[in-house]
Amino acid sequence: MNIGIGLSTAKDTFLATKEALHLAKKNITQERIDLAILFSTIEFAYAKTIQTVVSILGPVPLMGCTSAAVIANQGIFKRGIAVMLLGFPEGIYCNTAWVKEISKEGTRAAGEELGEKLLYGFKDLRRDFGMIFSDGLMEDGSGFISGLQERLGKVFPIVGASASDNLRFLKTFLYCNQEVMSRAACGILWGGKLNFGLGIKHGWKPLGKPRTVTKAEGNIVYEIDGVYAAKLYEDYLACDAEQLKKELNRVSTFYPLGLYLAGEEEYLLRNILSIQDDGSLVCHGNIPLDSSIRLMIGTKESCLNATQQACKEAQDGLLGRKSELIFVFDSISRYILLGREADKELEIIKNQFGQDMPIIGFYTYGEQAPLKAISYHGHAYSHNQTIAVLALGG
Amino acid sequence: MMSGSFSFTEILGTGAVLAVVSLLLVLWERAEKIKNLQKAVDNLKRSLDEMDEQAKLIVRTDMELNKTQEELDKKVAGLYALQKLTRAISTTLEESLIFRMVEPGHLEGLNFEKACGFLWNEKEKKFVLYLTIGYSEDETRIIRSSIEQDKNIYLDLIKNGKTLSSISQPKDDAALKRITDIFDVAYFVICPILPKEGNKGFLFVGTLNTDTSLTEGDEELITILVNQLGQALENARLFEKIWQSQQELEKKVEERTRALTFALEEVRAISKRKTDFISAVSHELRTPLTSIKGYAAILTAEKLGVLPPAAKERLEKINIHSDELVHMVNDLLDIARIEAGKTIMKIEDQDLRHIIANVADLIAIQCKNKNIDLLADIGEDVPLVLADRSQLERVFINLLGNAVKFTPQNGKITIQARLKEKTVEVDISDNGIGIPEESLTKLFQEFYRVDNAVNQEVKGTGLGLSLVKHIVEAHRGKIWVESFPNKGSTFSFTLPAKE
Repeated sequence: MNIGIGLSTAKDTFLATKEALHLAKKNITQERIDLAILFSTIEFAYAKTIQTVVSILGPVPLMGCTSAAVIANQGIFKRGIAVMLLGFPEGIYCNTAWVKEISKEGTRAAGEELGEKLLYGFKDLRRDFGMIFSDGLMEDGSGFISGLQERLGKVFPIVGASASDNLRFLKTFLYCNQEVMSRAACGILWGGKLNFGLGIKHGWKPLGKPRTVTKAEGNIVYEIDGVYAAKLYEDYLACDAEQLKKELNRVSTFYPLGLYLAGEEEYLLRNILSIQDDGSLVCHGNIPLDSSIRLMIGTKESCLNATQQACKEAQDGLLGRKSELIFVFDSISRYILLGREADKELEIIKNQFGQDMPIIGFYTYGEQAPLKAISYHGHAYSHNQTIAVLALGG
Repeated sequence: MMSGSFSFTEILGTGAVLAVVSLLLVLWERAEKIKNLQKAVDNLKRSLDEMDEQAKLIVRTDMELNKTQEELDKKVAGLYALQKLTRAISTTLEESLIFRMVEPGHLEGLNFEKACGFLWNEKEKKFVLYLTIGYSEDETRIIRSSIEQDKNIYLDLIKNGKTLSSISQPKDDAALKRITDIFDVAYFVICPILPKEGNKGFLFVGTLNTDTSLTEGDEELITILVNQLGQALENARLFEKIWQSQQELEKKVEERTRALTFALEEVRAISKRKTDFISAVSHELRTPLTSIKGYAAILTAEKLGVLPPAAKERLEKINIHSDELVHMVNDLLDIARIEAGKTIMKIEDQDLRHIIANVADLIAIQCKNKNIDLLADIGEDVPLVLADRSQLERVFINLLGNAVKFTPQNGKITIQARLKEKTVEVDISDNGIGIPEESLTKLFQEFYRVDNAVNQEVKGTGLGLSLVKHIVEAHRGKIWVESFPNKGSTFSFTLPAKE
């Protein structure tokens, strides 16, 4: 695979876009570009950015999104733009598609629509996996994934990441060919002689008594052990509902809920998006009724250990083949938890795959990936707080 | 045999009794086990509850630690951003560039994402926007007009040097609400920029982020930043002032230099004309003078017949005056030649001792006549000098001649010489009448004669010292004089020493 990555942190967004593209073009050794992937911080989310890209690259399929920070070989940048240009050798191909104006009620349908569009042209070709970028503020992420699986296949590997903004949780953006949009999702269906290895881990550990979800619907947990769900947090943190609401972002990042899944090495984490007036918790991802849940706690050390494990899993997934490119979809919660040590995750990845390995990624408001345990048949689930390391090899 | 009554054992039989007892025993044992199990379960439950309580403590402690860590990180990031920004600002000496040094990255480090900087323009009586971060053009326009509307609030802040922030005002304060609305922020700090000179202003920073609240520490960091901005503005203005003065000074120096160069050129042209004139005139004078002197000599020798004594006396006077005139013309010609660079100097190694001895012989009679002590003190370490012998002798003849002339009877003349770096300095001192201070600067000018009793009696051309100066300078030396009236004079000159 021919890969060119360009990064710029220049103050002027227009100049930065130009610089990143020129660097990427300089680094790719072939004329033909089959796919462009663009991750940027929120300052770049303007039509002008895409216009600049089009004026330089021409009509190349482009997918990407905004983030609180971009990840590249050079480091992690709270303001910047990273572009990756790919030229596929014979036998590797991809299809790109997007859906827009996704309504709150229509997420599942949007997932189905995206799946449908991605399959277009892939009828007799070998499909490897789907890469999905979606609006980070989409409430029913699980519904969207479920719709997508409806079309792509229940056990078809899907790796996804939700766009993020500058931690304001106000608006996130997707880059889809020549458009910048919110309330949208886009995807790349990869196929052909492509190998990939995926590692996804979080490092959070269970704490306190196991509890049972006694009333829930979709991503809303109404009651835990027969009392309103927010009581769990109020008890643990010794605070009232008002205080809890005020500190919800921090609480949710540091102490998410963990779902016990038989056969899985780690609990499936769920961040709390909001607390409703009746004390129910709106989660980032579904929590089924009767689930056994725990309060989870993470440390910097456990977080970095998880990064190491995710890298190893991704490497193992390639079954001894050489990796050519690494995608990193890292939860924004980890960025907050690690603080000044966030760079260490990148160091771990580089140490695993080599210092010169092309790396591109961003910080997400949610990740999507299959579960490993046999009982889950490789179904993709919404994850929170994880780092997903995806290694691609020819 | 007992009739009508049966014992329990009789009815059930012994075996059955045993079975019941066994059953009871088993049941009792089971009950004991269940009791123990229940106890264990209770214990486990209690342990679990205790563990849960411990977990709560862990979570609360962890939360506190995280908050502290976050605060610490925030402080470190703030200080780091402040240091970077301060460094950038302090290296800028252009007023218009100072605000441009504030970048979104710096603000982020200080936990703000929006900023505006205004300076009050005294002439136009309005606030001028110098910095805007985090606002679109439309938003900036609205902010500008709102500031114009509420300018008195901000002028008061500047006047009182007071910082206004979300934590300094009560939450229901009307001004606070208006500011948060106009600038579209959740928290803000407005701090006056107060340079000692020139226009003052204020910096606004704000954030929409409600996750972390504004602290007094944040306010302090902004105050430090604004003080730096004020200081930088002050420096820039001072620099501008100095730069402008320097420019004016440079302009003046340039103008003056041009004028001086022009004047120098003129002086040079005049000097050349003078030299040419003197040279021409001297040449023209020498020929008739030679004739006059020749005819006077013939007449005096009475080769053309005996002359009456009165006529002879007059002719002798003509001869003497002709000699003086020839001498003067020669001096003038020498000066003109040296000035024009036409004199060919035959630079050779010269021993000052020999030269001084030769010249001393020449003036020995005059010294004797006035009973003047002539002492030469030439140190052994004084090396040979590089000079034209005949010209150097003229220097000594002139200077010693003057010394004898102006030294009274029984006086003393001293010649000293010493090595100074790569030159030899010669001092000729006398204890004569000295030279008035006002004459010292003019002494080496052509035809200048000091107005004193001796000069009134003894005739002179006023060319001797000028010639000496020209000769010394032609040897790349310097000449100067120190004198105190009635105490004596010292003429000093330097010559290049042989290395």
